[in-house]
Amino acid sequence: MEKPAVTLNNIKKSYRTGLRMKRKVAVEDLSLDVTRGDIFGLLGPNGAGKTTTIKVLLGIVFPDEGNGSLLGCPLGDRKAHERLGFLPEQPYFYNFLTAEKGLVLYGKFFGLEHRLLAKRTPELLDLVGLRQDSHLTLDKYSKGMLQRFGIAQALLNDPDLVIMDEPSSGLDPLGQKEVRDILLQLRERGKTIFLSSHQLSEVETICSSVSIVNMGRTVKQGRLDDLLAVRGMTRIIFKGEDPAALDALIPVASDVEQSDGRTVVDVETDVTFRALETAHGLGMEMISATPLRLSLEELFLETIRETAG
Amino acid sequence: MKNVLSIAVNVIKDAARKKVFYVVFLFGLAIVALSPLLPTFDLGARAQFLRDISLSLTSLFGVVLAVILSVSQIPGEVERRTIYNILSKPVSRLQYLVGKYLGIMVSIAAILLVMGLEIVLLIFIRLHVFTPLIFEGVFAVFLECAVIAAFCVMLSTFATVPVNAFAAVLFYLVCHVKTGFLHQKLVEGAFGVGKVFTWALYYVIPNLEDFNLSQPVGYGGGAGAAYMLRLTAYALLFVVIFMVAAYLVFRSKDL
Repeated sequence: MEKPAVTLNNIKKSYRTGLRMKRKVAVEDLSLDVTRGDIFGLLGPNGAGKTTTIKVLLGIVFPDEGNGSLLGCPLGDRKAHERLGFLPEQPYFYNFLTAEKGLVLYGKFFGLEHRLLAKRTPELLDLVGLRQDSHLTLDKYSKGMLQRFGIAQALLNDPDLVIMDEPSSGLDPLGQKEVRDILLQLRERGKTIFLSSHQLSEVETICSSVSIVNMGRTVKQGRLDDLLAVRGMTRIIFKGEDPAALDALIPVASDVEQSDGRTVVDVETDVTFRALETAHGLGMEMISATPLRLSLEELFLETIRETAG
Repeated sequence: MKNVLSIAVNVIKDAARKKVFYVVFLFGLAIVALSPLLPTFDLGARAQFLRDISLSLTSLFGVVLAVILSVSQIPGEVERRTIYNILSKPVSRLQYLVGKYLGIMVSIAAILLVMGLEIVLLIFIRLHVFTPLIFEGVFAVFLECAVIAAFCVMLSTFATVPVNAFAAVLFYLVCHVKTGFLHQKLVEGAFGVGKVFTWALYYVIPNLEDFNLSQPVGYGGGAGAAYMLRLTAYALLFVVIFMVAAYLVFRSKDL
Protein backbone atom coordinates (compact mmCIF):
# COMPACT_ATOMS: atom_id res chain seq x y z
CA MET A 1 0.00 0.00 0.00
CA GLU A 2 1.27 3.46 -0.92
CA LYS A 3 2.44 5.55 2.00
CA PRO A 4 0.43 8.70 2.77
CA ALA A 5 1.73 11.92 1.25
CA VAL A 6 1.87 13.52 4.69
CA THR A 7 1.90 11.95 8.14
CA LEU A 8 2.24 13.63 11.50
CA ASN A 9 2.19 11.60 14.69
CA ASN A 10 1.55 13.19 18.08
CA ILE A 11 3.40 16.39 17.30
CA LYS A 12 4.06 18.70 20.20
CA LYS A 13 5.63 22.11 19.81
CA SER A 14 6.08 24.92 22.29
CA TYR A 15 7.94 28.21 22.16
CA ARG A 16 9.64 30.22 24.87
CA THR A 17 8.14 33.68 25.10
CA GLY A 18 8.47 36.81 27.19
CA LEU A 19 11.20 37.89 29.57
CA ARG A 20 10.70 34.86 31.79
CA MET A 21 10.99 32.62 28.75
CA LYS A 22 7.79 30.86 29.74
CA ARG A 23 6.82 28.05 27.39
CA LYS A 24 3.74 28.62 25.26
CA VAL A 25 2.31 25.52 23.67
CA ALA A 26 1.47 26.01 19.98
CA VAL A 27 0.74 22.39 19.12
CA GLU A 28 -0.18 19.93 21.87
CA ASP A 29 -0.92 16.59 20.30
CA LEU A 30 -1.43 16.79 16.59
CA SER A 31 -1.71 13.82 14.28
CA LEU A 32 -2.85 13.68 10.69
CA ASP A 33 -2.61 11.65 7.51
CA VAL A 34 -3.03 12.94 4.00
CA THR A 35 -3.72 10.35 1.31
CA ARG A 36 -1.90 10.77 -1.99
CA GLY A 37 -4.00 12.43 -4.67
CA ASP A 38 -6.26 14.16 -2.14
CA ILE A 39 -6.99 17.81 -1.63
CA PHE A 40 -6.67 18.07 2.12
CA GLY A 41 -7.88 21.03 4.18
CA LEU A 42 -6.36 21.97 7.52
CA LEU A 43 -8.94 24.02 9.39
CA GLY A 44 -8.95 25.76 12.70
CA PRO A 45 -9.52 29.12 14.37
CA ASN A 46 -6.70 31.66 14.69
CA GLY A 47 -3.99 30.38 17.02
CA ALA A 48 -5.10 26.76 16.64
CA GLY A 49 -1.64 25.70 15.47
CA LYS A 50 -2.10 25.56 11.69
CA THR A 51 0.92 27.68 10.76
CA THR A 52 3.12 25.87 13.29
CA THR A 53 1.98 22.57 11.76
CA ILE A 54 3.02 23.76 8.31
CA LYS A 55 6.35 24.99 9.65
CA VAL A 56 6.96 21.59 11.22
CA LEU A 57 6.18 19.93 7.89
CA LEU A 58 8.63 22.19 6.09
CA GLY A 59 11.42 21.79 8.65
CA ILE A 60 11.31 25.48 9.56
CA VAL A 61 10.64 24.61 13.19
CA PHE A 62 11.46 21.38 14.96
CA PRO A 63 8.89 19.49 17.05
CA ASP A 64 9.55 18.91 20.76
CA GLU A 65 7.90 15.50 20.48
CA GLY A 66 6.41 13.32 17.79
CA ASN A 67 7.46 12.51 14.27
CA GLY A 68 6.17 12.47 10.74
CA SER A 69 6.91 12.02 7.10
CA LEU A 70 6.59 13.94 3.88
CA LEU A 71 6.24 11.99 0.63
CA GLY A 72 7.63 8.93 2.39
CA CYS A 73 10.72 10.74 3.74
CA PRO A 74 11.26 11.71 7.37
CA LEU A 75 10.54 15.35 8.22
CA GLY A 76 13.46 17.60 7.34
CA ASP A 77 14.75 15.30 4.57
CA ARG A 78 15.67 17.60 1.66
CA LYS A 79 14.80 14.83 -0.84
CA ALA A 80 11.12 15.32 -0.10
CA HIS A 81 11.51 19.04 -0.77
CA GLU A 82 12.55 18.33 -4.36
CA ARG A 83 8.97 17.17 -4.98
CA LEU A 84 7.31 19.78 -2.84
CA GLY A 85 5.73 23.13 -3.69
CA PHE A 86 4.97 25.71 -1.01
CA LEU A 87 2.90 28.86 -0.98
CA PRO A 88 3.51 30.90 2.19
CA GLU A 89 0.62 32.42 4.13
CA GLN A 90 1.42 35.93 3.09
CA PRO A 91 3.58 36.01 0.05
CA TYR A 92 7.07 37.03 1.17
CA PHE A 93 9.54 37.09 -1.67
CA TYR A 94 12.62 39.07 -2.69
CA ASN A 95 10.78 42.15 -3.82
CA PHE A 96 13.71 43.57 -5.77
CA LEU A 97 13.35 40.77 -8.34
CA THR A 98 10.96 40.77 -11.26
CA ALA A 99 8.46 37.90 -11.42
CA GLU A 100 10.52 36.31 -14.17
CA LYS A 101 13.81 36.56 -12.28
CA GLY A 102 12.13 35.41 -9.08
CA LEU A 103 10.92 32.26 -10.81
CA VAL A 104 14.38 31.66 -12.25
CA LEU A 105 15.96 32.03 -8.78
CA TYR A 106 13.50 29.66 -7.11
CA GLY A 107 13.74 27.27 -10.06
CA LYS A 108 17.50 27.03 -9.65
CA PHE A 109 17.01 25.71 -6.12
CA PHE A 110 15.26 22.73 -7.68
CA GLY A 111 18.21 22.23 -10.02
CA LEU A 112 16.10 23.11 -13.06
CA GLU A 113 18.20 23.68 -16.15
CA HIS A 114 18.18 27.05 -17.88
CA ARG A 115 16.36 25.70 -20.94
CA LEU A 116 13.61 24.13 -18.87
CA LEU A 117 13.23 27.28 -16.81
CA ALA A 118 13.01 29.40 -19.95
CA LYS A 119 10.09 27.21 -21.05
CA ARG A 120 8.35 26.82 -17.71
CA THR A 121 8.56 30.44 -16.53
CA PRO A 122 6.26 31.94 -19.21
CA GLU A 123 3.92 28.94 -18.95
CA LEU A 124 3.45 29.49 -15.22
CA LEU A 125 3.14 33.26 -15.60
CA ASP A 126 0.40 32.61 -18.16
CA LEU A 127 -1.29 30.15 -15.83
CA VAL A 128 -1.55 32.71 -13.03
CA GLY A 129 -2.24 35.65 -15.35
CA LEU A 130 0.97 37.59 -14.70
CA ARG A 131 2.64 37.34 -18.11
CA GLN A 132 2.04 41.00 -18.97
CA ASP A 133 3.46 42.20 -15.64
CA SER A 134 6.41 39.82 -15.52
CA HIS A 135 8.92 42.63 -16.11
CA LEU A 136 7.83 44.53 -12.98
CA THR A 137 9.70 44.08 -9.72
CA LEU A 138 7.66 42.36 -7.04
CA ASP A 139 7.53 45.49 -4.87
CA LYS A 140 5.24 46.97 -7.54
CA TYR A 141 2.79 44.06 -7.23
CA SER A 142 -0.54 44.19 -5.42
CA LYS A 143 -1.31 41.59 -2.75
CA GLY A 144 -3.36 39.59 -5.22
CA MET A 145 -0.57 39.66 -7.81
CA LEU A 146 1.96 38.50 -5.20
CA GLN A 147 -0.40 35.66 -4.33
CA ARG A 148 -0.51 34.67 -7.99
CA PHE A 149 3.28 34.83 -8.17
CA GLY A 150 3.41 32.69 -5.03
CA ILE A 151 1.27 30.06 -6.72
CA ALA A 152 3.47 30.12 -9.82
CA GLN A 153 6.68 29.60 -7.81
CA ALA A 154 5.02 26.80 -5.84
CA LEU A 155 4.42 24.91 -9.09
CA LEU A 156 7.88 25.44 -10.64
CA ASN A 157 9.14 21.92 -10.01
CA ASP A 158 5.87 20.23 -11.04
CA PRO A 159 5.55 19.06 -7.41
CA ASP A 160 3.87 15.88 -6.20
CA LEU A 161 2.73 17.67 -3.06
CA VAL A 162 1.73 21.32 -2.82
CA ILE A 163 1.38 22.94 0.60
CA MET A 164 -0.60 26.16 0.48
CA ASP A 165 -1.25 28.46 3.39
CA GLU A 166 -4.39 30.49 2.61
CA PRO A 167 -4.12 30.21 -1.18
CA SER A 168 -7.03 32.57 -1.91
CA SER A 169 -5.93 35.28 0.49
CA GLY A 170 -6.00 38.70 -1.18
CA LEU A 171 -7.62 37.45 -4.36
CA ASP A 172 -10.83 38.82 -5.87
CA PRO A 173 -13.67 36.36 -6.59
CA LEU A 174 -12.39 35.80 -10.12
CA GLY A 175 -8.89 35.10 -8.80
CA GLN A 176 -10.31 32.73 -6.18
CA LYS A 177 -12.14 30.81 -8.88
CA GLU A 178 -8.95 30.61 -10.96
CA VAL A 179 -7.03 29.26 -7.96
CA ARG A 180 -9.74 26.65 -7.34
CA ASP A 181 -9.51 25.60 -10.98
CA ILE A 182 -5.72 25.30 -10.75
CA LEU A 183 -6.04 23.14 -7.63
CA LEU A 184 -8.63 20.90 -9.28
CA GLN A 185 -6.41 20.55 -12.36
CA LEU A 186 -3.53 19.53 -10.11
CA ARG A 187 -5.70 16.91 -8.42
CA GLU A 188 -6.72 15.55 -11.82
CA ARG A 189 -3.02 15.11 -12.54
CA GLY A 190 -2.67 13.04 -9.38
CA LYS A 191 -1.02 15.71 -7.24
CA THR A 192 -1.64 15.97 -3.52
CA ILE A 193 -2.65 19.34 -2.13
CA PHE A 194 -2.43 20.33 1.51
CA LEU A 195 -4.11 23.63 2.18
CA SER A 196 -4.75 25.65 5.25
CA SER A 197 -7.68 27.98 4.82
CA HIS A 198 -10.26 30.04 6.66
CA GLN A 199 -12.50 30.04 3.60
CA LEU A 200 -14.80 27.18 4.52
CA SER A 201 -16.89 27.40 1.36
CA GLU A 202 -13.73 27.00 -0.73
CA VAL A 203 -12.60 24.03 1.34
CA GLU A 204 -16.05 22.43 1.10
CA THR A 205 -16.03 22.86 -2.67
CA ILE A 206 -12.63 21.34 -3.40
CA CYS A 207 -11.36 19.29 -0.47
CA SER A 208 -11.89 15.57 -0.23
CA SER A 209 -10.67 15.31 3.36
CA VAL A 210 -10.14 17.72 6.23
CA SER A 211 -8.67 17.95 9.66
CA ILE A 212 -10.02 20.41 12.20
CA VAL A 213 -7.52 21.53 14.80
CA ASN A 214 -8.23 23.51 17.92
CA MET A 215 -5.89 24.55 20.70
CA GLY A 216 -3.08 22.56 19.12
CA ARG A 217 -4.96 19.28 18.90
CA THR A 218 -6.62 17.40 16.08
CA VAL A 219 -10.26 17.38 17.05
CA LYS A 220 -11.84 15.99 13.89
CA GLN A 221 -10.41 14.35 10.82
CA GLY A 222 -11.70 12.33 7.91
CA ARG A 223 -13.26 12.28 4.45
CA LEU A 224 -15.38 15.37 4.04
CA ASP A 225 -18.43 13.39 2.82
CA ASP A 226 -18.30 11.18 5.92
CA LEU A 227 -17.87 14.11 8.30
CA LEU A 228 -20.69 16.16 6.81
CA ALA A 229 -23.19 13.32 6.46
CA VAL A 230 -25.73 13.14 9.29
CA ARG A 231 -25.97 9.38 9.62
CA GLY A 232 -29.40 7.81 9.24
CA MET A 233 -31.16 11.03 8.26
CA THR A 234 -32.75 12.06 4.96
CA ARG A 235 -33.91 15.50 3.86
CA ILE A 236 -37.04 15.59 1.65
CA ILE A 237 -38.04 18.81 -0.05
CA PHE A 238 -41.62 19.30 -1.31
CA LYS A 239 -43.13 22.07 -3.40
CA GLY A 240 -45.63 24.34 -1.62
CA GLU A 241 -46.40 25.47 1.93
CA ASP A 242 -49.48 23.70 3.25
CA PRO A 243 -50.28 24.03 7.01
CA ALA A 244 -52.19 20.74 6.83
CA ALA A 245 -49.04 19.02 5.58
CA LEU A 246 -47.11 20.46 8.49
CA ASP A 247 -49.51 18.85 10.95
CA ALA A 248 -49.51 15.54 9.07
CA LEU A 249 -45.69 15.29 8.75
CA ILE A 250 -44.71 16.34 12.27
CA PRO A 251 -45.39 12.86 13.78
CA VAL A 252 -42.97 11.13 11.34
CA ALA A 253 -40.36 13.88 10.90
CA SER A 254 -37.54 15.03 13.11
CA ASP A 255 -37.85 18.53 11.75
CA VAL A 256 -40.27 20.29 9.38
CA GLU A 257 -39.89 23.79 8.00
CA GLN A 258 -41.94 25.75 5.50
CA SER A 259 -40.52 28.79 3.75
CA ASP A 260 -40.01 30.26 0.29
CA GLY A 261 -42.80 28.10 -1.15
CA ARG A 262 -41.10 24.87 -0.02
CA THR A 263 -41.58 22.37 2.75
CA VAL A 264 -38.33 20.88 4.04
CA VAL A 265 -38.68 17.68 6.05
CA ASP A 266 -35.82 15.90 7.85
CA VAL A 267 -36.69 12.28 8.65
CA GLU A 268 -34.91 9.20 9.88
CA THR A 269 -33.96 7.29 6.76
CA ASP A 270 -36.03 4.20 7.63
CA VAL A 271 -39.25 6.23 7.80
CA THR A 272 -38.60 8.05 4.53
CA PHE A 273 -41.17 5.93 2.70
CA ARG A 274 -43.82 6.63 5.33
CA ALA A 275 -43.21 10.36 5.07
CA LEU A 276 -43.41 10.20 1.28
CA GLU A 277 -46.72 8.30 1.46
CA THR A 278 -48.16 10.87 3.87
CA ALA A 279 -47.11 13.74 1.63
CA HIS A 280 -48.40 11.96 -1.45
CA GLY A 281 -51.77 11.49 0.26
CA LEU A 282 -51.90 15.27 0.73
CA GLY A 283 -51.10 15.83 -2.94
CA MET A 284 -47.64 17.31 -2.29
CA GLU A 285 -45.09 17.25 -5.08
CA MET A 286 -41.57 16.08 -4.08
CA ILE A 287 -38.55 18.07 -5.35
CA SER A 288 -35.74 15.97 -3.85
CA ALA A 289 -34.85 13.39 -1.23
CA THR A 290 -31.16 13.28 -0.25
CA PRO A 291 -29.10 12.10 2.69
CA LEU A 292 -29.04 14.92 5.23
CA ARG A 293 -25.69 16.75 5.16
CA LEU A 294 -24.31 19.53 7.30
CA SER A 295 -22.48 22.45 5.74
CA LEU A 296 -18.77 22.60 6.56
CA GLU A 297 -19.42 25.84 8.41
CA GLU A 298 -21.95 24.08 10.66
CA LEU A 299 -19.56 21.22 11.29
CA PHE A 300 -16.67 23.58 11.97
CA LEU A 301 -18.56 25.80 14.39
CA GLU A 302 -20.09 22.81 16.18
CA THR A 303 -16.67 21.13 16.52
CA ILE A 304 -14.94 24.26 17.79
CA ARG A 305 -17.74 24.92 20.32
CA GLU A 306 -17.60 21.33 21.56
CA THR A 307 -13.84 21.49 22.05
CA ALA A 308 -13.54 25.05 23.28
CA GLY A 309 -13.93 24.31 26.95
CA MET B 1 27.07 24.11 -4.90
CA LYS B 2 24.48 25.58 -7.28
CA ASN B 3 22.24 26.49 -4.35
CA VAL B 4 25.14 28.19 -2.57
CA LEU B 5 25.93 30.22 -5.69
CA SER B 6 22.29 31.17 -6.29
CA ILE B 7 22.00 32.45 -2.71
CA ALA B 8 25.33 34.29 -3.01
CA VAL B 9 24.29 35.98 -6.26
CA ASN B 10 21.06 37.05 -4.62
CA VAL B 11 22.98 38.64 -1.73
CA ILE B 12 25.10 40.58 -4.25
CA LYS B 13 21.98 41.77 -6.10
CA ASP B 14 20.43 42.84 -2.82
CA ALA B 15 23.62 44.71 -1.89
CA ALA B 16 23.57 46.47 -5.26
CA ARG B 17 19.91 47.38 -4.75
CA LYS B 18 20.73 48.85 -1.35
CA LYS B 19 23.35 50.94 -3.14
CA VAL B 20 26.19 49.78 -0.85
CA PHE B 21 28.46 49.86 -3.86
CA TYR B 22 28.20 53.66 -3.75
CA VAL B 23 30.69 53.42 -0.90
CA VAL B 24 33.47 53.25 -3.51
CA PHE B 25 32.55 56.72 -4.75
CA LEU B 26 32.51 58.02 -1.21
CA PHE B 27 35.91 56.45 -0.70
CA GLY B 28 37.26 58.06 -3.88
CA LEU B 29 35.97 61.43 -2.73
CA ALA B 30 37.54 60.92 0.71
CA ILE B 31 41.04 60.19 -0.58
CA VAL B 32 40.86 63.02 -3.12
CA ALA B 33 39.77 65.31 -0.30
CA LEU B 34 42.74 64.20 1.80
CA SER B 35 45.35 64.65 -0.92
CA PRO B 36 45.80 68.43 -0.37
CA LEU B 37 47.20 67.45 3.05
CA LEU B 38 50.21 65.83 1.36
CA PRO B 39 53.64 66.97 2.49
CA THR B 40 54.93 69.25 -0.23
CA PHE B 41 58.69 68.66 -0.33
CA ASP B 42 59.61 64.96 -0.46
CA LEU B 43 58.19 62.64 -3.14
CA GLY B 44 58.93 59.53 -1.06
CA ALA B 45 57.20 60.96 2.00
CA ARG B 46 54.24 62.02 -0.09
CA ALA B 47 53.84 58.53 -1.60
CA GLN B 48 54.24 56.95 1.83
CA PHE B 49 51.66 59.28 3.35
CA LEU B 50 49.15 58.58 0.56
CA ARG B 51 49.61 54.79 0.78
CA ASP B 52 49.32 54.84 4.55
CA ILE B 53 46.28 57.07 4.82
CA SER B 54 44.40 55.46 1.92
CA LEU B 55 44.95 51.96 3.32
CA SER B 56 43.66 53.10 6.72
CA LEU B 57 40.62 54.53 4.98
CA THR B 58 40.17 51.29 3.01
CA SER B 59 40.21 49.36 6.26
CA LEU B 60 37.64 51.68 7.83
CA PHE B 61 35.29 51.54 4.82
CA GLY B 62 35.76 47.79 4.43
CA VAL B 63 35.00 46.99 8.06
CA VAL B 64 31.92 49.23 8.12
CA LEU B 65 30.74 47.58 4.93
CA ALA B 66 31.36 44.07 6.31
CA VAL B 67 29.29 44.89 9.39
CA ILE B 68 26.47 46.54 7.42
CA LEU B 69 26.27 43.66 4.96
CA SER B 70 26.41 40.85 7.47
CA VAL B 71 24.55 41.88 10.62
CA SER B 72 21.09 41.86 9.08
CA GLN B 73 21.37 39.07 6.51
CA ILE B 74 19.69 36.34 8.53
CA PRO B 75 17.55 38.33 11.02
CA GLY B 76 16.32 40.44 8.07
CA GLU B 77 15.25 37.37 6.13
CA VAL B 78 13.54 35.88 9.18
CA GLU B 79 11.72 39.15 9.85
CA ARG B 80 10.63 39.49 6.22
CA ARG B 81 9.90 35.73 6.21
CA THR B 82 11.59 35.32 2.83
CA ILE B 83 13.66 32.57 4.45
CA TYR B 84 10.61 30.29 4.75
CA ASN B 85 10.23 30.06 1.03
CA ILE B 86 13.93 29.38 0.51
CA LEU B 87 14.10 26.62 3.12
CA SER B 88 10.94 25.01 1.75
CA LYS B 89 12.98 24.32 -1.39
CA PRO B 90 15.70 21.64 -1.42
CA VAL B 91 18.14 24.07 0.18
CA SER B 92 19.92 22.96 3.35
CA ARG B 93 20.60 25.37 6.17
CA LEU B 94 24.33 24.90 5.60
CA GLN B 95 23.97 25.88 1.93
CA TYR B 96 21.92 28.89 2.97
CA LEU B 97 24.50 30.02 5.52
CA VAL B 98 27.50 29.48 3.24
CA GLY B 99 25.69 31.16 0.32
CA LYS B 100 24.95 34.21 2.43
CA TYR B 101 28.55 34.45 3.60
CA LEU B 102 29.94 33.94 0.11
CA GLY B 103 27.65 36.68 -1.25
CA ILE B 104 28.81 39.09 1.45
CA MET B 105 32.48 38.34 0.76
CA VAL B 106 32.18 38.64 -3.02
CA SER B 107 30.45 42.02 -2.57
CA ILE B 108 33.21 43.18 -0.23
CA ALA B 109 35.94 41.85 -2.56
CA ALA B 110 34.46 43.74 -5.52
CA ILE B 111 34.30 46.98 -3.55
CA LEU B 112 37.82 46.60 -2.12
CA LEU B 113 39.19 45.87 -5.58
CA VAL B 114 37.74 49.11 -6.93
CA MET B 115 39.04 50.98 -3.87
CA GLY B 116 42.53 49.55 -4.47
CA LEU B 117 42.39 50.66 -8.11
CA GLU B 118 41.29 54.11 -7.01
CA ILE B 119 44.32 54.40 -4.72
CA VAL B 120 46.76 53.20 -7.37
CA LEU B 121 45.22 55.61 -9.88
CA LEU B 122 45.28 58.56 -7.47
CA ILE B 123 48.91 58.01 -6.51
CA PHE B 124 49.84 57.64 -10.15
CA ILE B 125 48.01 60.84 -11.14
CA ARG B 126 49.32 62.89 -8.22
CA LEU B 127 52.87 61.57 -7.93
CA HIS B 128 53.51 59.60 -11.14
CA VAL B 129 54.40 56.59 -9.00
CA PHE B 130 52.95 53.16 -9.82
CA THR B 131 52.22 51.29 -6.54
CA PRO B 132 50.65 47.86 -7.14
CA LEU B 133 51.93 46.92 -3.66
CA ILE B 134 48.84 48.63 -2.33
CA PHE B 135 46.88 45.47 -3.18
CA GLU B 136 48.84 43.56 -0.55
CA GLY B 137 47.38 45.91 2.04
CA VAL B 138 43.94 45.74 0.42
CA PHE B 139 44.07 41.95 0.56
CA ALA B 140 44.88 42.13 4.28
CA VAL B 141 41.84 44.39 4.72
CA PHE B 142 39.79 41.80 2.84
CA LEU B 143 40.98 39.08 5.23
CA GLU B 144 40.09 41.25 8.21
CA CYS B 145 36.63 41.84 6.72
CA ALA B 146 36.27 38.08 6.21
CA VAL B 147 36.86 37.47 9.93
CA ILE B 148 34.50 40.26 11.00
CA ALA B 149 31.77 39.19 8.55
CA ALA B 150 32.01 35.57 9.77
CA PHE B 151 31.72 36.79 13.37
CA CYS B 152 28.64 38.86 12.46
CA VAL B 153 27.03 35.98 10.55
CA MET B 154 27.57 33.75 13.58
CA LEU B 155 25.96 36.32 15.86
CA SER B 156 23.10 36.90 13.43
CA THR B 157 21.98 33.30 13.86
CA PHE B 158 20.71 34.15 17.33
CA ALA B 159 21.03 37.90 18.03
CA THR B 160 18.91 40.80 16.86
CA VAL B 161 20.35 43.36 14.43
CA PRO B 162 21.10 46.10 17.03
CA VAL B 163 22.73 43.61 19.43
CA ASN B 164 24.71 42.15 16.56
CA ALA B 165 25.90 45.57 15.34
CA PHE B 166 26.94 46.59 18.87
CA ALA B 167 28.76 43.29 19.41
CA ALA B 168 30.51 43.67 16.06
CA VAL B 169 31.87 47.11 16.99
CA LEU B 170 32.97 45.78 20.38
CA PHE B 171 34.61 42.77 18.72
CA TYR B 172 36.49 45.07 16.34
CA LEU B 173 37.75 47.29 19.14
CA VAL B 174 38.76 44.44 21.46
CA CYS B 175 40.52 42.59 18.64
CA HIS B 176 42.50 45.72 17.79
CA VAL B 177 43.57 46.68 21.29
CA LYS B 178 44.37 43.15 22.44
CA THR B 179 48.07 43.28 21.50
CA GLY B 180 48.58 46.43 23.53
CA PHE B 181 46.23 46.33 26.47
CA LEU B 182 45.88 42.59 27.07
CA HIS B 183 49.55 41.89 26.49
CA GLN B 184 50.45 44.52 29.06
CA LYS B 185 48.01 42.93 31.52
CA LEU B 186 49.60 39.52 30.95
CA VAL B 187 53.09 40.91 31.42
CA GLU B 188 52.06 42.80 34.53
CA GLY B 189 51.01 39.44 35.87
CA ALA B 190 47.41 39.46 36.98
CA PHE B 191 46.46 36.57 39.29
CA GLY B 192 43.72 33.97 39.58
CA VAL B 193 40.55 34.23 37.53
CA GLY B 194 41.65 37.59 36.11
CA LYS B 195 44.80 36.06 34.69
CA VAL B 196 42.95 33.09 33.18
CA PHE B 197 40.38 35.43 31.66
CA THR B 198 43.07 37.73 30.27
CA TRP B 199 45.03 34.76 28.96
CA ALA B 200 41.90 33.33 27.30
CA LEU B 201 41.03 36.65 25.72
CA TYR B 202 44.56 37.19 24.50
CA TYR B 203 44.97 33.82 22.85
CA VAL B 204 41.42 33.01 21.77
CA ILE B 205 40.28 36.19 20.10
CA PRO B 206 41.80 37.12 16.76
CA ASN B 207 44.42 39.80 16.61
CA LEU B 208 43.01 42.14 13.99
CA GLU B 209 45.99 44.48 14.32
CA ASP B 210 47.95 41.86 12.34
CA PHE B 211 45.84 42.75 9.32
CA ASN B 212 46.91 46.38 9.43
CA LEU B 213 49.63 46.69 6.80
CA SER B 214 49.53 50.47 6.54
CA GLN B 215 53.11 50.81 7.70
CA PRO B 216 54.92 48.09 5.71
CA VAL B 217 52.96 48.96 2.58
CA GLY B 218 53.26 52.67 3.34
CA TYR B 219 57.07 52.42 3.51
CA GLY B 220 57.05 50.55 0.21
CA GLY B 221 58.59 47.29 1.42
CA GLY B 222 55.45 45.26 1.92
CA ALA B 223 54.89 42.43 4.37
CA GLY B 224 56.27 39.63 2.21
CA ALA B 225 54.73 36.46 0.79
CA ALA B 226 55.39 34.32 3.86
CA TYR B 227 53.62 36.78 6.14
CA MET B 228 50.69 37.04 3.74
CA LEU B 229 50.34 33.25 3.64
CA ARG B 230 50.38 33.06 7.43
CA LEU B 231 47.84 35.88 7.60
CA THR B 232 45.55 34.09 5.15
CA ALA B 233 45.72 30.87 7.17
CA TYR B 234 45.11 32.83 10.38
CA ALA B 235 42.01 34.52 8.90
CA LEU B 236 40.72 31.23 7.46
CA LEU B 237 41.04 29.58 10.87
CA PHE B 238 38.75 32.15 12.48
CA VAL B 239 36.35 32.19 9.53
CA VAL B 240 35.97 28.41 9.82
CA ILE B 241 35.54 28.57 13.62
CA PHE B 242 32.86 31.28 13.39
CA MET B 243 31.03 29.63 10.49
CA VAL B 244 31.00 26.22 12.17
CA ALA B 245 29.63 27.86 15.32
CA ALA B 246 27.04 29.67 13.18
CA TYR B 247 25.97 26.38 11.61
CA LEU B 248 25.75 24.57 14.94
CA VAL B 249 23.33 27.22 16.20
CA PHE B 250 21.42 27.66 12.95
CA ARG B 251 20.89 24.00 12.03
CA SER B 252 18.40 23.40 14.85
CA LYS B 253 17.03 26.90 15.25
CA ASP B 254 13.27 27.44 15.02
CA LEU B 255 12.62 30.18 12.50
